Amino acid sequence: MKLYLTLILLLPLLGGAINALVGRKLPRRVCEVLACASVWGAFVCTLLAFAAYRAPVTVELATWLADFDFTAGIALYLDPLSLVMTLMITFVCGLIHLYAVGYMAGEGSPARFFALLNLFVFAMLVLILAENLPLLYLGWEGVGFCSYALIGFWYTDPKNATAGRKAFITTRVGDTAFGIGIVWCFQLFQTESITQINQMGFLMPVGVITALGLLFLAGAMGKSAQVPLMVWLPDAMAGPTPVSALIHAATMVTAGVYLMARMSPLFSAAPVVMAAVAVTGAVTAFYGASCALVQRDFKRVLAYSTISQIGYMMLGVGAGAVTAATFHLLEHAFFKALLFLGAGCVIAALHHEQDIFKMGGLRRRMPLTFWAFLAGAACLAGLPPTGGFFSKDAILAAVWAKGGLLYGGLFGLGLLAALLTSFYTFRMVYLVFGGEGLKEVHHNPRIMDTMLLPLAILGLLGGFIHLPAFLADGWLGRFLATSLTEGGAHLSHVEEMVVEAVAALVALTGLAAAHLRYGGLRRAARIEASAAEPRGITAFLMNGWYVDNLYRILFIRPYEAMASFLWQRVDEGVIDDSLDRLADGLGKTGQGLGRWSCGRVSVYLLSFGAGLALILGWLAWGWLI
Amino acid sequence: MIVPIEHVLILAGILFALGLVCVLVWRMNLIMLLIGIEVMLNAAMLAFVGGAARWGMADGQVFSLVIMALTSAEVSLALAMVVYLHRRKRTVDADEFDTLKDS
Repeated sequence: MKLYLTLILLLPLLGGAINALVGRKLPRRVCEVLACASVWGAFVCTLLAFAAYRAPVTVELATWLADFDFTAGIALYLDPLSLVMTLMITFVCGLIHLYAVGYMAGEGSPARFFALLNLFVFAMLVLILAENLPLLYLGWEGVGFCSYALIGFWYTDPKNATAGRKAFITTRVGDTAFGIGIVWCFQLFQTESITQINQMGFLMPVGVITALGLLFLAGAMGKSAQVPLMVWLPDAMAGPTPVSALIHAATMVTAGVYLMARMSPLFSAAPVVMAAVAVTGAVTAFYGASCALVQRDFKRVLAYSTISQIGYMMLGVGAGAVTAATFHLLEHAFFKALLFLGAGCVIAALHHEQDIFKMGGLRRRMPLTFWAFLAGAACLAGLPPTGGFFSKDAILAAVWAKGGLLYGGLFGLGLLAALLTSFYTFRMVYLVFGGEGLKEVHHNPRIMDTMLLPLAILGLLGGFIHLPAFLADGWLGRFLATSLTEGGAHLSHVEEMVVEAVAALVALTGLAAAHLRYGGLRRAARIEASAAEPRGITAFLMNGWYVDNLYRILFIRPYEAMASFLWQRVDEGVIDDSLDRLADGLGKTGQGLGRWSCGRVSVYLLSFGAGLALILGWLAWGWLI
Repeated sequence: MIVPIEHVLILAGILFALGLVCVLVWRMNLIMLLIGIEVMLNAAMLAFVGGAARWGMADGQVFSLVIMALTSAEVSLALAMVVYLHRRKRTVDADEFDTLKDS
């Protein structure tokens, strides 16, 4: 087990290090093979670890930080939760690495790209497998850095570099809170080990756990693009599409959910934290879905839908249904990666056209992409019996089971978001693939389309790993239950069936509404209407509820004003000016005194005599007193 | 001792002041400047000799002899330099020699 875990981490690190250090000297093909092989090697090791897995295991690889009482070693913890996450991550990352070989074929600096991608996989696996919070934080910041560097991969365009910085700074806001939480954890529990902290929650008063939970939640909000720190994710689509699929859909953005799920034994004692998580999730789910309704940019639709789906996972965690949230996390990773990769195929085929209103007719020209994308869309919309349906309904059922006014309201909000999700998903499908296109289609490398197939199969059939209780006993639930205690309430089979039926109905309603609005000939009318400038509610949703503008007024403007005040008034005005004046004065004095040294002996003698008189006078003064 | 030490010191002080004024004021002529220095040195010697007589110790007289030797050496050197300077600029005005100043 120790060998497998070591290899899982070291292989991507090795691939990344080689590519980073000597990748520029290697031929392109070697870089690509190295990057893909290291990730697939990690996947094979994960499979072996999965086969050998019996019970949760902690592996101490090395000492990292040790000082007085404080210890944080490079310790890994493998339990069902981290195991399924590792399986998903190595598999999806492997597929996306292969896809990226095709997608990035014509682009420059492959070594930098693949080095960062491999480094990202390494950091993500550190995050997942870490046994103590500092190590988790190391991975947490590592993925943040890789995300920043990859969003700005085409950094020569200042827009991309700005998007990268925005992502980095926004997540840093949450990370700061998370960092404070980690340090506080040590102060409270005298240990940083996640497993030990999770068992010691009852020692602390609920108020302390609540405050701690809110700090962790702030970190999760930043990383997982939850309201109110979600502004970076739509802009993060400036990066290459494989990066969007890998980091900003499948893996990194779910790290916040993973963190909350990982710490859920600790926080389940604090109802306020759980409610805050659930409210954050539900509001985000609704926010993302509403914004996705009107976006024109293909990738922005998907970005907002990612925000929305992660909101669902948060909602699940908040309802205490860690299994459901994890289930949706896995499912989402498959189908959202699939959708992004499909979108990448379309965008590459149309010469980097991203406006969905300018697409069309791709159903016949790119049949493989179309069917795979349709599978992903069905999962996202939650049409039965796809995996997305089961996972989303597991969350909704858990929220319903929780009962009460708050969770009842959140259930309603979640259902509304599901309706919107289904609508915007099929709006996207109709606009991109429907109708008659006249565009010249550029042929993609075969490997890009091929990678869609396994993801489509997993997305469609993934539901079978955790079927609802009235059909069968969910495997995932039983597997996770070996180490996690499920906090959610349980529903009777009839109630569960009713919830599922309602959710299915909602999804189909969304599909029908999308068909009525965008299907057939009405599509052309919509495209014509879209040429007009967006107004009213459309503009409001298009700009993401104007949250960017709000933050500009609330934070960025005051900050800029303060910075310019400090720069022009304090730094240049007071500090620089006073120094300048002082230097000026000293220079003038020096020049004035310099006139004494005129070179004339008589002046020197006179000064000499004056000095002598002064000294004698002073001595005489002292003698007289 | 017939002459009191105070008188000797007052005379030495007056001599020194005269020499100093000569040095400071008579800048038209380098030789007058040297003479002023000589007068000041003589004032110092007078003070030494007066002190030696007052306390009955030979030290002051020895000092006077040393100063005499020193003065003769100094004057011979200084006069040689005056001759040299006069050759360079055809003048003995002290203010004309100001090349010590930079630029």
